[in-house]
Amino acid sequence: MSLASSIRTIAVWEMNRSMTTMGRNVLPLAAGLLVLLVLVTMFAAQSGVHMQDGMYHIGIDDPDVARVVAPDNRFAVDLADGPALWADRLAYDIVILHGEVYVADTDKGRAALTSLERDYEAYVSRVATGEPDLFAAYPLWIDLQYVKSEIDFLATQSGQQVGAPADAREPPISSAPVEAVTLPPSAMPVSEEGLRQHLAEARSGHPLSRYTTINPGGSTMDRFKTPSELSAPLPFDSIILVFVFIFPLYFTSQFFMMSVMHERVGRAGEALLSSPVRPSAIVIGKALPYFTIMLLVAAAITLFAGAPLTILLPLIPVILFFLANALIIGMAARSFKELSFVSIFFSTLVTSYLFFPTVFANTHVISIISPLTLVVLEIQGDGFTAAEYVYSTALFFATSIILFYAGTVNFREERLFSEKPLTSRLADFVSGGISRDHPHLSLFLLAALSIPFVFMVQMMTLVLFFNIPMPLSLVLLIVSAAFIEEFAKSAGLYAIARERPGFLTAKNLLAGAFVIGLGFLAGEKLLLFATLAQITESIFGSVLFLSLGVLWMPLLLHITGVLITGGFLLLWGRRAYGPGLVVASVVHSLYNLHFILGGLL
Amino acid sequence: MNARHIGLIAKKELRGLSSEKTIVFAVLLQVFIAMFSSFLMVGLTAMYDPEAIEGYSTVTYGVGYAGADSALIDEFAKRDDLVLHRMDLGQALAALREREVAAVVYVPDTPPDAEGPVTVTLYLIQNDLQSSVINVKIKEVLQGYERELREVRADRMTSFPIGLNFPESGGAENFFEFVYGLLIPLLALLPAVISAALIIDLITEEYQRQTLEALMSTPVTFVEMVWGKIAACVVLVPVQAALWLLLLGANGIAVGNAAAILLHASVGGLFLILLAALVALYYRERTSAQFIFSTVLVVVFLFVMAVPYNPLNLMVRLAVDTVGPVHWLILALVAGATALLGWTVTTYARRVGEATPAAR
Repeated sequence: MSLASSIRTIAVWEMNRSMTTMGRNVLPLAAGLLVLLVLVTMFAAQSGVHMQDGMYHIGIDDPDVARVVAPDNRFAVDLADGPALWADRLAYDIVILHGEVYVADTDKGRAALTSLERDYEAYVSRVATGEPDLFAAYPLWIDLQYVKSEIDFLATQSGQQVGAPADAREPPISSAPVEAVTLPPSAMPVSEEGLRQHLAEARSGHPLSRYTTINPGGSTMDRFKTPSELSAPLPFDSIILVFVFIFPLYFTSQFFMMSVMHERVGRAGEALLSSPVRPSAIVIGKALPYFTIMLLVAAAITLFAGAPLTILLPLIPVILFFLANALIIGMAARSFKELSFVSIFFSTLVTSYLFFPTVFANTHVISIISPLTLVVLEIQGDGFTAAEYVYSTALFFATSIILFYAGTVNFREERLFSEKPLTSRLADFVSGGISRDHPHLSLFLLAALSIPFVFMVQMMTLVLFFNIPMPLSLVLLIVSAAFIEEFAKSAGLYAIARERPGFLTAKNLLAGAFVIGLGFLAGEKLLLFATLAQITESIFGSVLFLSLGVLWMPLLLHITGVLITGGFLLLWGRRAYGPGLVVASVVHSLYNLHFILGGLL
Repeated sequence: MNARHIGLIAKKELRGLSSEKTIVFAVLLQVFIAMFSSFLMVGLTAMYDPEAIEGYSTVTYGVGYAGADSALIDEFAKRDDLVLHRMDLGQALAALREREVAAVVYVPDTPPDAEGPVTVTLYLIQNDLQSSVINVKIKEVLQGYERELREVRADRMTSFPIGLNFPESGGAENFFEFVYGLLIPLLALLPAVISAALIIDLITEEYQRQTLEALMSTPVTFVEMVWGKIAACVVLVPVQAALWLLLLGANGIAVGNAAAILLHASVGGLFLILLAALVALYYRERTSAQFIFSTVLVVVFLFVMAVPYNPLNLMVRLAVDTVGPVHWLILALVAGATALLGWTVTTYARRVGEATPAAR
């Protein structure tokens, strides 16, 4: 059988299998639940959300004032006469007597006051909307215009504070060219009737209504707001959309994960493995239906949201990445509960990797390390260039391909049906990639292939430490980057020491350390050419990718690191792996620190 | 049912959990999220209530002012965190793009008592955290200007709102409502959801790995086996929830009535776990069971949220200490419903157990 036809056979078989296990009893109940869901949603829409009912206790002496807070069920209102309320005032967060608001001096009291002020604003607006002379009630309208400005990532390097200008009291002297601007017209381009309608549709006072109501946006009318309607623009608004994309992808990849797991439970996949189909065909064939479904789901959401279909391009590597990880997790988990926990843990990691950089979508170059930033940019209508696409997706493509490769290599009976704990299974996967005849070549390749993962984890730490003040974040970054690199380099050596303890002699260690160091450097170089040119220019980049300048120095460093960890393994056995790793990281950090400080001073 | 048998099964499952280090993953996850806590606090609070982030900023911002003179200048003068610079509109916009100023306002020469509205144009930097802060500050200035204009045009109004005199709030940052009104109930709910997903794994695993027959050959009955697994999952709920509350406490967020909150979380968690056990016993296959249960979960959650005095709301009220003894009544009601569901699970499990435990 040719590869293509066996892939097709497996894919069709996979579809049929999942349809029969899922279809039998699930579909009727799922349909019933869907009807129930619609009913419950209708009920919830009518009844409202009752999460924060009665959070605050308020005492009021005037039924007219009580009507002001009546629509807000966060307030539990007590209506009583003035002296009684005053005597009991400590039991309340807020007491209103004769139009005078008294607030308890607690966090809760202040929070209640903020809510009350907003309710009062909403009430004043309600009264004003009924006025016959609209422009007496709403004399001031704001035309909100947004201006684009990108912060240069290098700004932090020169010590400039990103955010506020250095001294706001000095009149700004701008060196930028002044463009000719047309003055905004002083007359209102929208009719009075239109404005009235706009006010009637305006939101309620509750903060969560921002997410429960759908905002059409875009029309000229929504540009004009009364001052109280001005709500802070969220830098995160488009992020909600991103979650809409990621969640279904994650959900579908669960089915693939389960399908892989299914082959292993009770050795169900034995028949498949003994058939004359290659493992690569099995893995690709099994993944193909899910890849198609995920792409279709993403396309459907895109069309539904009215976004351009080009946003599917950055989503493809994300889909591949989810599938590749689902494959590995499905192959490595020992039991269902392990599967659940590991997949939840993994998805949290990935979601934060994808999510946090997008927060800075318009301000930092760094945000492009997440493909989702491209999605945000595309939805905003800014688009992205081919270079940016390569830059942000290269890591995802590279890691997915490597993971798929590792999964295929290990898609064998003795790996799939063993009952070992998770970590030793993963170590097995690594040693599965080391050939017995050419261990040094394998170590070289392994070190080179680990580079994308190292970069990914380092990017993660970069995102993680980004909001910590400068000197501390730099130190943390140096130490963690060193540790990650040392770990990646020694993983292959550790796997060999586990499987073939006799292999680890002084001579083999030296040779191994040399090839690993070389492989690491080669992989680093190769990936950097493809991608991270922009980041390497900033100070953070110089921490992560310090080893670019001179070649023999980093080579020596990488070899020394491996030698330290390997030496610990050789002398004191596998239990010394942890301490060895720590010592190697310390040496590595000191080296980096020396160069950074030397570079800075 | 034999309590000792149930205890044995529960202990076996808990030991399995700790030997597989799955619990370690759960704890790692909590720590990981806690690492982001400062970011999450600012970010999520800003999502919940953008105006809260104003409190973070102690910086003075420059604002470009272009156009005609107006009372707005006096409003700006009242603030010490905003400094006005009179400039030409083109120049001001160039300065804004360079971030020399944080915002630009353009005021037309419409007189305050004109027939039509005064339309002020406000320029901000797109999609920027700083814009959110400056927006809130300028909003307050503009509201002051609006009040002024309303007074000028008061003779054209027909009705007047009741006046309320607010004390000076000081504009402090405000996490309170987000933390107590949203975060605490969700964190208390999370362990219940995790445990419910866990029971599905535990039950379907016995079927799919065909380990059920071996288990049934011991003196343990099928019903005892199911309840043992349920017990193992239920124990985890208050432990994890308490851990969250402790972490919150370590961050300086004191939660009132912690014991009562844990009680509500445990009973609600037991309800969800029983529901999940029912689904798992019916399907005996993980994918279908998890799929159906997650849909059920959404339905139950939406329904519960729409009912006044729901357990989540009670947790909020307990945390801020504004609840009377009424919450015991609700707890008794939920416990009653849970007991009913428990009885259903027992009967169903007995029926399933009596039929020979087939492979699938």
